[in-house]
Amino acid sequence: MTKHEFFVDMTCEGCSGAVTRVLTKLDVKFDIDLPNKKVFIDSDKDKDVLLETLKKTGKTVTYIGPK
Amino acid sequence: PLSGNAEIRIEGMTCNSCVQSIEETISKRKGVRSAKVSLANHQGTFEYDPLVTTPEELRGAVEDMGFDAFLPESNS
Repeated sequence: MTKHEFFVDMTCEGCSGAVTRVLTKLDVKFDIDLPNKKVFIDSDKDKDVLLETLKKTGKTVTYIGPK
Repeated sequence: PLSGNAEIRIEGMTCNSCVQSIEETISKRKGVRSAKVSLANHQGTFEYDPLVTTPEELRGAVEDMGFDAFLPESNS
């Protein structure tokens, strides 16, 4: 299991709620740090799959790296 | 030119940045002419080309983004 760190441009609970929902559908373990606009995902899935999923929310997403 | 209007109820938006990402993402979809989302009314109004897309597809697209989206009963 790898822990991936992403930057997601979230500004409110609605944004982080949207991220929560798309990730819940993907069935992965994750943590959202709203004040720092970070999302940590525990998954064996390819980072590009995770990136595409996060991008579905329509927000700016950047892959920071494994943690 | 054919044009349809879809009214979609959207729950889960709490700020303008939610509104903007929905408007931007949906207006980029094929067949969508305009997208207007109201935070206060929890509602999106989308003008679309019925030959290319359907209200149900638009609803699904909003839901894919992580929001709850409903089509009103009368809207078919």
